[in-house]
Amino acid sequence: MKQIKLVITLLFLFAVGMGYAQNSGHISGDVCFNGMFYIPDSLIGAEKVESKVRANSWLNLNYNNGGFTLGARYEFYLFPLIDFEKIGYKGQGITHYFADYKTDLLQVTVGTFYEQFGSGLSFRAYEDRQLGIDNSLLGARFRVNPYKGVAVKGVWGIERNNFDFDYTKRSDMIRGIDGEVSLDQIFEKMQEKGFSLAFGGSFVSKFEKSTEYQGLIPPEKIPQNVGLYAYRINFGFKGFRLEAEMASKINDPNLTNDFIYKKGEALLVTTTYSQKGFGVSASFIRADNMDFRSQRNISATTPLLGINYIPAINRQYSYQLLGNYSYASQPNNQIGFQGQVNYQIPKKSKLGGKYGTDLTFNYSRFHTIEQIPVEEALSLGTPSGTDGYTSSFFKFGKDLLYQDIGFDVTKKINADWKLMLGYNYIDYNLLILQGHGELAHIHHITSEVTYRINRKHALRGELHALFTKQDMGDWIYGMLEYSISPNWFFSVGDQYNYGNQAEAMRIHYYNFSVAYVVGATRIAANFGKTKEGILCIGGVCRAVPASYGFGLNITTKF
Amino acid sequence: MKKTVFLGLFLMIGLVLFAQEKKAQQFPSVDIKTLDGKAFNTKDITNEGKPIIVSLWATWCKPCLAELMAIDDLYEDWVEETGVKLYAISIDDAKTASRVAPFVNGKGWEFTVLLDQNWDLKRALNIVDIPFLCILNGDGEIVWQHTSYAPGSEYEVFEIVKKIANGEPIE
Repeated sequence: MKQIKLVITLLFLFAVGMGYAQNSGHISGDVCFNGMFYIPDSLIGAEKVESKVRANSWLNLNYNNGGFTLGARYEFYLFPLIDFEKIGYKGQGITHYFADYKTDLLQVTVGTFYEQFGSGLSFRAYEDRQLGIDNSLLGARFRVNPYKGVAVKGVWGIERNNFDFDYTKRSDMIRGIDGEVSLDQIFEKMQEKGFSLAFGGSFVSKFEKSTEYQGLIPPEKIPQNVGLYAYRINFGFKGFRLEAEMASKINDPNLTNDFIYKKGEALLVTTTYSQKGFGVSASFIRADNMDFRSQRNISATTPLLGINYIPAINRQYSYQLLGNYSYASQPNNQIGFQGQVNYQIPKKSKLGGKYGTDLTFNYSRFHTIEQIPVEEALSLGTPSGTDGYTSSFFKFGKDLLYQDIGFDVTKKINADWKLMLGYNYIDYNLLILQGHGELAHIHHITSEVTYRINRKHALRGELHALFTKQDMGDWIYGMLEYSISPNWFFSVGDQYNYGNQAEAMRIHYYNFSVAYVVGATRIAANFGKTKEGILCIGGVCRAVPASYGFGLNITTKF
Repeated sequence: MKKTVFLGLFLMIGLVLFAQEKKAQQFPSVDIKTLDGKAFNTKDITNEGKPIIVSLWATWCKPCLAELMAIDDLYEDWVEETGVKLYAISIDDAKTASRVAPFVNGKGWEFTVLLDQNWDLKRALNIVDIPFLCILNGDGEIVWQHTSYAPGSEYEVFEIVKKIANGEPIE
C-alpha cells in the first residue's frame, strides 16, 4: 500500500517536472479549510468538546497533459468538525491518488476512482464532502467505446473505509462490468425522426471472506460472493422520455437485513414530458433488500462502504426549517412515487407579466413495502438465516414514510423586485426515519424577496414558518442578506423554536455571517448556533450535533 | 521519508504554480451526458471561435437558479451582441437528474444543458461549491471564473464576454 502511494507520488513529481521542463501540461487544484471554534451551550445541547478548535481541510491536485492525468488529494481531518468526528471521519493522509489515460477509444485509470453504472442501482462510487461520504475504489477502471454508440466499463477494487488505509488486511473487494448500446447513434435514421433508444446492463460482484453470524449461521452458510445485476432502458421521442432500471441482488445476508437470504430487488422508473414553458415528470421507485455493502457487518446507520445507490426521488428542498424533515432513502424497504409539474406563464402575457411567472406543483408519497414473514422465520422466532419475508411487488405497505404536497410561485415583478412564495404539507414518519417519535404532520410556508438597489447592491430576505403539533412544535425563520456584487455578502438569520412545548427550549438559533469572494476564492466567517438535527443531501442523511461558536471557511481553486 | 516527499511536493507545486501564472487552463476533456442520455465529451464545448460561458448548477441549488434566471432575462441580448453561448451543466445525481429536462423547459431556458451525474467534470475543474461560472475564449481556454452568485454579477460576466468578443485583453 505505502509503496503504491510512494510510486504515484514520485510519478507525479516526475511527470510534473517533465511536463514543466517541456513547458506543456497544466496543474490545477483546490484547497479547502473549514474550521470552527466551539463554545459549549448546555441549553441547545452543544457539548463541551475536547479540543475547541477543529477543522476539516484538504488539498486536491491534478496534473493534465493531453490525454494523461495524474491526481492526488491530501486530507487533514485529525481534529475534524464534531459532526465528522461522530461518524468516524477522522484521520489524515493521501486519500485519493490516480493515474489516468484517455483517448476517444479508451480510458484507463489506476489508483482511486469514482464511477457509476446506469442510475446507480447496481454501482456508484461517489463522494459527498459535506456528508463525509467517500466511497471511492482503490484499484483499476477501464472505459471502452469500441464502436459509435457502444460503451463498456469495468471496475475492480477495494472500497475506501474512512481513514483506514490498511488495505492489505482487507478481505473484501468489488468487481463490476457495465455495457450500454445507443441504437439511435448506430442507426442515424432514428435520430432524424426524433427517437432515442438505449439499452444497458451491468453486473457487480462483491467478494468477502465468510464469517459466522452470532452463532446463528455458520461461516460455510455465508456466501463469499454476492452478485447484483441490473438492466435498463432509456427511450425518448421528441419531448417525451422514459428511463427505467431494474436491479436484483442474490444471496446477501448482512446486518442491515437481519441476515436473511431473500433476493433483493429495485425498480426505478421515470417518465417526463416537456416543451417550452411546460414540463411534467413522474417517477416510481421500489427498493426491497437492496442495501449492498463491501462488508456484511456494517450497520445501516452509517453510509460507510455502500456499493450501490438507491436514490431518494422526492423533491429536494433547501429550506432551513425543512432540513430536519428531509426524506431519507430506505434502500431495504420503500415503495413510492413523485410527480412534478413546472409551468411558466409566458413572458409578455397579461398574467405572466414582462418576465413570465414560474409555477411548480409537486406531490410525492413513500411507504414501507408489504412484508409477510415466512413460516420458518416465525417458528424460529428470528428472520436470520431464513428467506425472511415475502412481498407482493406493487403493494404499498401499511407504514407511511413520507408525503409531500407542495406548490410554489416565482415572479420577477420588475427589474428590481423578485418574489417567491411556496407552501408544503408534509407527513413525516419520525419513528422510522429518525428513530424516535411518531408521524408528524407539517405545514410549511416559504417566502423570499430580492430587491436590487442598483446594479451592484442587492437585498434578499427570507421568511419561513413551520407549523406542527408533533416533535419540536412550531418554528419561524427569518434571514436578511445584503450583497455587493461580486465580492461581498453579509447576512443575519434566526431560527426561533417559539412553539416548543418546553418553555425553556424556545430557543433562538441566530447566525451572523460575512463572505468575501474574489474569482474562485471564497472566504467566509460566521458566528452562531446550529440546532441538533439531520443533515440530508441527496436523500442520504446523517445526524448533526448541536453546536455554537465561530466558524471560518476558506476555499480556493487554481 | 514521508515528510521529505511532502515537502518536495509542495515546493514543486509552489514553483510550478508561480511559473505557470500566465498560462490559461484548457477546458478539461471529460465524458458527461446530454439531456437525452447520450455521451458527450466536454472538449466538444465549442462556439465557432466566439466566447462561451459554462455554468455548473443543480436544481436544488437556489443561488444557481437565481443566477441562471438572471442571465436568462438578458440572454437574447447577449447572444445578439456577442454570439456568446451558455452551457449549463447540472450536477444533479440519480435522484433528480431525470427531472432536469422538464425543469429547464418549464423555465423556458435557451441554454445548452448537460448532465455531470457523478461529478467527473466537477472534480476535473476542482470545483468545491456551486454555483460556479467560467468563461472560455474562442480557443476553449478558461480565461475568467467565479464562484457563488450575488445579484448583479451577471453584468460583470457580460463585460468579460464583450471583451472576448471584441478581442480585447482581460485585465
